[in-house]
This record gives sequence, structure tokens and C-alpha cells, in this order.
Amino acid sequence: MTIMTERPPDVVGPAPPRARWLPASAGQGLVWFVVVALVVGPFFPLVYSSLRSKPIYLPGGTFTLAAYRTLFADPLFWQAVRNTVGFALGATVLAVAGGTALAILCARTNLPGRKAYRLLLIAPIVIPPLGLIVGWLAIYGPGGYLTQVVSTNLHLPVWNLSSIPGMSLLGAVITIPVVYLTVQAALAGTDSSLEDAARSAGARPWRVITRVTLPMLRPALVNCTVLIFALCLEILGIPLFLGAPSNIDFYASYLYRSWSSGANPDPAFVSAGAVLLLVVVSGLLILRARLSGSEQRFIAAGARGGGTYRPLDLGRWRWPASIGLGAYIGVTCVIPLLGLVLMSCVKALTTLVAPWHLFTADAWHTVASDPTLRRSITNSLLIAGGGGAATVLLVAAATLIAHRSGFPLRRTLAPALIYPRAVPGVILGIGFFWTYLMFTPGALVRNNLWGEAIALCVRNLTLAYVVIYPSLARINAEFDRAARSSGAGWWTVARRILLPILRPALLAAFVLMFITLLGDYDPVVFLQKPGTEVLGVTMLQTWQRGVVGPVAALAVIQVVIVAIVLLLGARVLRRLRRA
Amino acid sequence: MPDIRVDHLSKSFSGTKVLDDISFTVKDKEFVTLLGPSGCGKTTTLMCIAGFQTPDHGRIACGDDTFVGDRIDRPAEQRNLGIVFQSYAIWPHMTVAQNVAFPLRVRKMSKPATRARVAEVLALVELGALAGRYPHQLSGGQQQRVALARAIAPSPAVLLLDEPFSNLDAKLRERARDWLQELQHALGLTTVFVTHDQDEALSMSDRILVMNGGHLLREGTPEEVYRRPGARFVAEFVGQCNFLTGAVRAGPDGGAVLITAEFGDGIAVQGRHDGPRGTIAVRPEDIEISSGVEGGTEASVLHASYLGDHYHYRVAVGATQLSVHSSRPLAPGPVRLRIPPGVATFVD
Repeated sequence: MTIMTERPPDVVGPAPPRARWLPASAGQGLVWFVVVALVVGPFFPLVYSSLRSKPIYLPGGTFTLAAYRTLFADPLFWQAVRNTVGFALGATVLAVAGGTALAILCARTNLPGRKAYRLLLIAPIVIPPLGLIVGWLAIYGPGGYLTQVVSTNLHLPVWNLSSIPGMSLLGAVITIPVVYLTVQAALAGTDSSLEDAARSAGARPWRVITRVTLPMLRPALVNCTVLIFALCLEILGIPLFLGAPSNIDFYASYLYRSWSSGANPDPAFVSAGAVLLLVVVSGLLILRARLSGSEQRFIAAGARGGGTYRPLDLGRWRWPASIGLGAYIGVTCVIPLLGLVLMSCVKALTTLVAPWHLFTADAWHTVASDPTLRRSITNSLLIAGGGGAATVLLVAAATLIAHRSGFPLRRTLAPALIYPRAVPGVILGIGFFWTYLMFTPGALVRNNLWGEAIALCVRNLTLAYVVIYPSLARINAEFDRAARSSGAGWWTVARRILLPILRPALLAAFVLMFITLLGDYDPVVFLQKPGTEVLGVTMLQTWQRGVVGPVAALAVIQVVIVAIVLLLGARVLRRLRRA
Repeated sequence: MPDIRVDHLSKSFSGTKVLDDISFTVKDKEFVTLLGPSGCGKTTTLMCIAGFQTPDHGRIACGDDTFVGDRIDRPAEQRNLGIVFQSYAIWPHMTVAQNVAFPLRVRKMSKPATRARVAEVLALVELGALAGRYPHQLSGGQQQRVALARAIAPSPAVLLLDEPFSNLDAKLRERARDWLQELQHALGLTTVFVTHDQDEALSMSDRILVMNGGHLLREGTPEEVYRRPGARFVAEFVGQCNFLTGAVRAGPDGGAVLITAEFGDGIAVQGRHDGPRGTIAVRPEDIEISSGVEGGTEASVLHASYLGDHYHYRVAVGATQLSVHSSRPLAPGPVRLRIPPGVATFVD
């Protein structure tokens, strides 16, 4: 080999890098401040307003516990608490049992079609929550299509979806994907040779599952039981849509109704109720963190197959189990979505007349002509697109600072990024309402879309973190070091090395943010004003006026947009991965 | 190019001392190797020089530049070092040329000058034809050369190598070793090299620093370290070694003689030793054995294995077993064994 012993004179090494005029920690500090202020900020006005005798925008007022006394003296409050606990218990038991069974069936047995089911079972996560609820109402609700078939046409005793058990069932269907993902991740992380050992000791599949698999899953099960229970405490859509006919209120809907129909505006006891719920939910999640290891804080759809693992043989139950699983998906997702479409195109939902005789485009016409409804679509798209992109950028920067920098306060960032999703949406909404009222910068966003966009984005930024962080953790830290030793400062490393490598994760985070922002509504039910309508709240308010068709049409639009974004996202992601 | 001075470097991780008062100097254009088992602190030392770890105490300076010490801790990106990492850390989203150009671009070098320098450096590592490839399209050896090209592209003050051969197979490793050494000499790069492989250390270094448990045990040229290891750990870690313990007597010419039960006539040892008893190290290839009946000590071959270029024998001398390398085939059974004067050396 030949080696040039002398360098050509025209090519001289560049000057060694010099110190920058602004240290990297200045920018890092700014990102840290923005994240922490957005996440923690809203809670101070919330607590403050619950302790004042008058709304904070009125002069005067003293510190008092009157709001809490009012709350505790209200029999409706206690009724709502009882309903919520009953609902949460029912939904949690159903969801944990169902989700675990589904996960074991798909991950550990030779169920036919298990690969397809693995995808289909998490579909409810991307279906807009209100769309699913309205679809269920259209089919299984008190006046729903199938309910009518059974009661009016077949004269059989019929279920009541508007009862607490009925709502628990829907609550379980909505939360089952969370259990499914947690348990599946736990199964992927546990060594299946433990199960093989039991089999070689002569245990039959059922015994292996009950004596080895389930006991191994205990930490994961405890973990998601607490999580589901906490999620159920804050559910707003189910009681507002399903509970209304039977006058059943849950905690969140009680707060919402007291707020919007109270005699005096902005009652302090709603803030008090929000503070109480915040304390309870935070306590539950702290308990959960204690119970489970730090790794299980993230629900990851692990793609790790069992390798050479031979699945448990279901024997003659193979096909019945597979058909049952298919029927479950059909009944809980596919039929309600079809019901949604049906509801948006008929004059009335009835089984007495064939639907094609009742066909009408009125609902769609209303959506196209009513400026409020139209605005809700464009506003939601704006928030989902712009807010989603901005959130992903902010969270990406914060994640890099939290895990790949020497910033002194970096360890506080990860909890700050996880917390918002743990806080009930209505509480965050009330918090932002008071924040915008109390602080002058808040006034800038109070009467326009920004306020709602910020609340929705803060509430859901956890999702972006949960997608970005695992991808970042897989990037070799020597990549950063190689760039640093090449002379690049921290921000250059982030911009030129880490973010480009993270591109697929950033896109996935954006798609998830877009879908969630499009469907989410609880943080903004207290913030919406004429002109700043978003899809979810508009659907809620239109439904409460008794107008059904356009709500179904909006839900269909939501589902179609989500489907398009998912397809586009998957295609771009595939191209990114190939590159 | 400047030299690197490391003074009294100490570092602890959660109470465990990983570096305990390490001091050494790497002179201009010198190739110095930090050798030791995993966990000995060699990589920590390198990362302290690179700026990815901050020592608890001590000072690191490069020429007149203080990297660490005197309340200075210069960030890694301002130390002007070239580093080749164990994983190579070639950025997967950039081509070979973009990888090599990166340190030049962050130094705000003009585009034409960058292009010329990238071409020059890639030609140097014989990768000119692969400039447009992405890292996953390269073999392990090619990736290693990209990493090296990227490290030397901005003409760094010092080159740091963190086990750069550990991901290569044995044949390629030997070639890469020769090639890197030639390059280092040709460019006159001051180099600090970290490895746990004694062959790499012996064949490439101007000087070797043997580390263990956060301490610097021995410093010297490869020959000095191999011939006079000084410490038992060094003797064992760098090559194979036999150890014999016995009484020390003064020998002729100011040397010493070690007397054991097996070697009643004594073994002439180079160097001096204080105290009545001592331990010596003898390399297996320095021991002479023969099937004759005259001279040396009675011994017997217990086990023989053929290693291609030599035989490895396990030999019993009385109650002691010794390893012996010899090019001569010997049948198991009685042999004569001799330790020539001067090959043994005292160890702690």
C-alpha cells in the first residue's frame, strides 16, 4: 500500500473549533422551561381558584374551603362518585380479563390468523373515541338498530347500554387495547422457555397458562389494572352520550354539567372537584409506579417474536377461538363503524322501514353548510397538523435533553413529559382555563384557537415522548460522541445526527399525535368559544341538542381522515425505513 | 503536534474507584497503548482525555492547552481530537463522504476545500471509490477505515483509538493493524490506543501502559514490558508466564540467584531483589527442554499439544508444573529442563 507522507500544500487542515458565544445549555434551559411551565403551570391556578371565595376575575375574594364544603354537601356529587367507582370497577375487571386472554391467545397459542388479529386488536386506539361511542349508540344504544331488532322485531328481553353495566362494557372495549399491549409486551419480554419447561414436565396447555404464564404476568397485570382504573375515573364521553338518557352522571360529566349549567358561572366547587380527582389519580399512578418496575412505564408494542418458540396447541378449540375473536372485533368495532355510516345517511334509525327508503343526505348537507360544523373540521385539522408538528419538535428536543445531554435539570424532564397524559383531561382543561384568565400572556390565547391547541397538545405530548424515547434509546451513544469529538456542539449533534436518525420515530409520533389531537376533546370542553370549535366538543354539543345525523357524519369524517393519515403515514414510514 | 500530559487522574463511579492517581505522558508523534483487562480503567482514561467523562481529580493537558484541571473542563467538541470508537459510530444516515466531511463542515471549512480534503483522506484509507456508499453497504474493515478517515480529516492534535479492531475477524485484524501503524507513522500522529489484546499492544506501540484495577502497573516499550514485567499481573497478562518462588541469594556480577526445591542449583536472575525470598517470572519459550540425559534438571512431559509453529508442553519438575514452548517434538516421559541465566526476572 502507498501512503502519502506529505500533505499537498493547498489542502490545510481547518482551524480547531472554538467556543461558542452562547452555551448549549441556554437553549436546553429554554426548552426545559417551556415544557415544565406548560405541564406544571396549569395546576397552580386550578388549586388557587378552588380555594377562593370568588372567581379570580372578580375583585375581592378571600381564601376559603367553601368550595369543598359545597361539593361535599351536594348529593349529586356523591351519586356521581358512586357511579364512577362502579363503572370503573366493572370496566377494569372486564378489560383486564379480556385483554389478557386476547394477548395470551395471540402471543402464545397457535390460534389461526393471530398475526392479523395482533394488528386488529389495537385498532380501537386509532378510532376516534367519540366515533366509537356514537357508533355503539347507533347499533346497541337504547334506540339503536340491533336493540330495535331484538326488542321490537323479535320481542326478546333487551340489554340497556345506558346502564352502568352497559357503559362498563363499552369502557372495557375502549381500554382493552391498553391491557392487550401491556400484557403482550410483558409476554414478549419473558422467556418462553419457562413455559417450554412446564410442557416438557408434562403439563397440558391450559395448565401451562394458568400455572406458569399467568403467574409470570402478575406484575404486568397489577400495573395495567391500576392504570385502567385511573383511566376510567376520568372518562367523559361515555356518561355524556350514554348516561344522559338514564340521568347517570360520572365524576367528569358531573364537573362538566355543573360548569356549563350552573346558576353562577365558573363555580369554584368544580375546581375543587378537579383538584380532588387530580389527587386521587396521581395517587393511583404513584402506586402503580411503585408496584411496577421502571421498564414497564412504557407500553411498547414489542415486535420481538418468540424466535424458535413453538406455540401452545389449542387443539380442537383453535378454530372456534379464532372465529370468536373475529366476531369480537366485528361486534365491537366493525359493526359500530358501519352503524355510524348508516346513522349519517338516514332520516331515522328504525327497523320498521328498510334503511334505503329512509336515505337522506340531510346530515351531510348540514355538515357542509353549517359554518360551525365546518369550522370545527378545519379547526381540528389545523390543531392536529400544526399542533402535532410543533409538539413533536418540542418533545423531540426535550427527549434529547432528558436522555442525551449534560443539562443539570435533565432528570426532571422525563417525569414532566409523562405526567400530562396521567392527568384527567377535564382537569387539565379547567387548569388551562384559569391559567389563561390569571396571566396576561394567557389573554393572548384565551379567545382564539391557540388556547385550545395548547391544552390539547400539552395533554397529549406524552404520546410523542412514548414513541420517540424507545427509538432514541436504541441509538448508540457513540454516534453522539463521534460527532462531539468531530467538533460539533450539542445542538449541532441533535440537528445533524440524532434527529435525522430519529426520522421514522418522529413521523410515527406525528401520526399518533395527529390522530389523537383530531379525536381528543376533554381538555377543551371548558375552553371552546364561538369561532374556536373543534370536532369533539362540537359533536358533544350538537348531540346534546338532540341533533344526531350530523354528529354521525362528523364522526365518519373523523374516521376517514384518520384512515387516510394512517395509510399515508405507513407509506412514508416504509420509504423512510428503506432509505 | 503537541504531547499529552495526564497528571494524577482519579475517578470514582458511585463509590468505586475506577482510576486511582494515573499519570503519564504521550510524547509528540508517539504511539502509546493503554493495555488491560475489561474494567481496568483504560477506556475511562481515554474518555477523560476525549472529554466524555470528567475526572474527580487530576489534570489533562495537550501541549499548552489544559483540557481538564485548574477549574477548566473544556467540552469535547473544543478539544480538537480524532477518535475511532469501538463501534466505529459511523452515522447511518450519511454517506461515506458526508461522514468524513462532517468534522470539516462544523469547522466551517469552505465547500471546495472540504471536497478536496475528503477526497485526499479517503484516498489515504483507500476508500476513494466508495465515497457515495452508505455505511450499511460497507464491510467491517471498510467501516473501520471510514471511522479512521473521519477522525483524521480535520488534522486533529491527537488520535484516540478505542479498541478499533475488536469487531474485525482475526485475519483482517492483523492486516488492519499493520496498515494503521504505517499510517500513523506516515502522518506522524500522536496516538493513544486502548486495547485488551496483548498482541496488538506489543506489535503496534512505541510504549505500553499496563493498567489493572484503576492503577498503572507498568510503563515501557513493548520489549521492556514483556521482558521485565515487574508485576505478576503484568507478566501474566502480557504473554504467558511461569512463576517460581524461592530463596534469593546474591549471585555473580551483582545479579541474584533463586533457589527452590526443584532447582537446587539456583536460577540466575537478572536484576536485584531485596528480601530473603522472591518470585521470578519465566516465559515458556525461554525454557529449554531436551530428551537428552545430560545437563539441566530432571523433568517429565505430562501433556503435549501441537500449535502449528510450536509445541506447548506441560512439564512437571518435582511438585511444580511449568509451561514450555518448543519447536522440537518430544514424547511424553522424562526430559531434561534448563532455565538459561538472565531470562528470568523478579516480579512483585
